[in-house]
Amino acid sequence: MFNIFKKKKSLELMSPMTGTVISIDQVPDQVFSGKMIGDGAGVVPTKGSVVAPCNGTISQIFPTNHAIGIETEEGLEILIHIGIDTVELKGEGFKRLLEPGTKVSVGDAIVDVDLDFLKSKGKELATPVVVTNMDKVEKIDVVETSCLAGKSKIITVYMN
Amino acid sequence: MKTIKIINKTGIHARPAGLLTKEAQKFSCDIDLIKDGKSVNAKSIMGILGMGIAEGDVIGIQANGTEADSAISSIYSIIEKINQE
Repeated sequence: MFNIFKKKKSLELMSPMTGTVISIDQVPDQVFSGKMIGDGAGVVPTKGSVVAPCNGTISQIFPTNHAIGIETEEGLEILIHIGIDTVELKGEGFKRLLEPGTKVSVGDAIVDVDLDFLKSKGKELATPVVVTNMDKVEKIDVVETSCLAGKSKIITVYMN
Repeated sequence: MKTIKIINKTGIHARPAGLLTKEAQKFSCDIDLIKDGKSVNAKSIMGILGMGIAEGDVIGIQANGTEADSAISSIYSIIEKINQE
């Protein structure tokens, strides 16, 4: 009976990098464009600082520092995968600034990436930002625009 | 439980983890991947990525419930394909 008073939660994700937002189906990797890992958006960066898109805890940073997992206070799992096929760089061009387990606030810098190095290795810079536990999500809205790291809202996640 | 050794140079990173999770989600039974005695839900990509499965690791595949054997075989096949990449 009290369900009618229960407000559905939503979470805003800020851009983790400065650049331009693209829709997830434009990310040049079918694992992401096909939403196999989750849903969200992509950011094509112009600056190499990767920051927390929301408040939460760093659940993991991949050993090669090219992917970050964040668990939000609402229980959502966000994956930021810096560039496409960048695991092949075996960590070169990536520098982690924080360790897994660290609590972060929006805008906290987590990884620094050398975009010129990635480009010189022929890597696509498009960085998918996706929610991986989509069973908790009802809908995702994406704002396709230019964005500033930690400042521009790019994704709104409506939870079940 | 079935075990398989990872011979793919980049281990199980985002792309193969995505394929694996998608396959696991097709089954209603519980499916776990085990490495060094630690197990994670194969349907959770964060769980798989968090294990940091690398070249040389031996992974166990375990399942409980409906079609458990099919699930184990399917996941085993996916990892075999990953090894051939």
